[in-house]
Amino acid sequence: MPSDALVARGLAKRYGRIHALHDLTLRVERGECLGFLGPNGAGKSTAVKMLVGLVRPTGGAADVLGKPVGDRATRARIGYLPELFRYPDWLAAREVLAFHARLLRLGGAPRAIGEVLDEVGLRERANDRVGTYSKGMQQRLGLAVALLGAPEIVFLDEPTSALDPVGRSDVRALIERLRARGTTVFLNSHLLGEVERVCDRVCIVDRGRVVAEGSVGALTGAARGVRVRLEEGWREFDVAPDEIPALVARLVGEGARIHAVEPNQTTLEDRFLSLVRGA
Amino acid sequence: MNVALFAGLTLRELVRRRLVVAVALLTLVIVAFTAWGLHRLATAVVDGEPIAQPAVRATAAGIVILLAFLFSFVIALGAALVGAPAIAESIANGEILAVLARPVRRAEVALGRWLGTVLALAVYVAVAGGVELLVVRAMTGYVPPQPAVALGYLIGVAAVVTTAATVLATRLPALAAGIIAALLFGLAWIAGIVQSIGLALGNERLADAGTIVALIFPSDALWRGALYALQPAVFTAVAANANASGSGVNPFAVTSPLPPALLAWACGWIVVVLAAGVLAFRARDL
Repeated sequence: MPSDALVARGLAKRYGRIHALHDLTLRVERGECLGFLGPNGAGKSTAVKMLVGLVRPTGGAADVLGKPVGDRATRARIGYLPELFRYPDWLAAREVLAFHARLLRLGGAPRAIGEVLDEVGLRERANDRVGTYSKGMQQRLGLAVALLGAPEIVFLDEPTSALDPVGRSDVRALIERLRARGTTVFLNSHLLGEVERVCDRVCIVDRGRVVAEGSVGALTGAARGVRVRLEEGWREFDVAPDEIPALVARLVGEGARIHAVEPNQTTLEDRFLSLVRGA
Repeated sequence: MNVALFAGLTLRELVRRRLVVAVALLTLVIVAFTAWGLHRLATAVVDGEPIAQPAVRATAAGIVILLAFLFSFVIALGAALVGAPAIAESIANGEILAVLARPVRRAEVALGRWLGTVLALAVYVAVAGGVELLVVRAMTGYVPPQPAVALGYLIGVAAVVTTAATVLATRLPALAAGIIAALLFGLAWIAGIVQSIGLALGNERLADAGTIVALIFPSDALWRGALYALQPAVFTAVAANANASGSGVNPFAVTSPLPPALLAWACGWIVVVLAAGVLAFRARDL
């Protein structure tokens, strides 16, 4: 079994004169969770749609689970939650899942459907029509559809955009469970804090180009010094970690009143903004 | 296999959205109204005498043709309004994205949606048309020459318009695809009249123009096949005499059955246009 779940080589998409995506070269290992970040219009959803075979690339190539994108048999091993979607409002959630189970030729469908309904917390409303669902519930249903059939790789395009804080926390926990099972997760999200918490690696795209890629730690950098909140506000001190107690003692000795001390670390959001705004 | 799945989804949607119930109720109203009118005709007394049976039957034959004409418009509109959204709406609202990420061919989606729509319309034509013809027979004793053939041609009209609506819907929004498909049906009908006028007046250019439109969009050719199957021999003879004498054109009468070559053309047209639509759908970025 190849160790790469996804390999993209110079993947590009042009719509007439508009370049939606340039030269996306990317490798995602099996079991890895990749955060795919970028501002609106950066080409994230286009990239995801190309990787699941809905949009034809105008340049480059990509393999998913060892097969060229769009391979029909491989699509049975892929889960996909689109960014903008709706399910037929006249069907119940259980019927939507049963329909997808038939498309997947899924054996033991009722059990599999029950499992994904539990996974996303929709079992109690499973027999209600989708038309009666809130936006958040529809997003949970979308997640259930994506998880049906225990896919080896899941593409989640803004999976929490319609969810409240509880829902977002549930999705984070869900992604962690997927990772624990060895499922590869390709997470397309605006929510940087979310990505920082659940992803192993991050790829940042802007205006159709990859502007940074690496592990979360490598992108945010190691902590450098501390920030101390004093009466007059925050001050930064460039000290090594083992020098922090002495620094605090010195400041107190000088009569300063200390309200907080925290590592002076670049967050993913800081890094993202510097890359996107600096471009 | 997947074609049947998508056809079944289309049929279930029509039932769940209560379209079937609404159409069934309205059709029942039309059937009841027809039954009442025909009963009044069959029992009418003129100058103290009941209307002669041949006259009742001739009037009933005219009413059947007018009903069939109305029916063909309802079917064409139904094909356009059901066939186009079945594909275009699922593209517009993103419903199709998760579906096509499955091991599914786009051709299966398009053909399944087309099949579901045509099946629904075929059942409607068979049931509503059949009931209407039974009512005519019960009230007046009139039976058209080839009722089953006529219903078959009307199903053909539904298939042609559904094909256009489905194919257009793979590239256009539902409203645009539906309206264009319905307009094509209307244009073909007008072209059929132009062709009749051309033939009656011996004007080859007019007749050829009508023939070309019939080849481009064969719904009217099929409608004329239905018309011939419904009209009694005397109507055919009257129409032929009118053409020969140049005394006028009746758009609701034809002088000959649908040529087998044109029927084969219509069947081939459906296959080729559907195939072209599938290719266009396959090439579309979603």
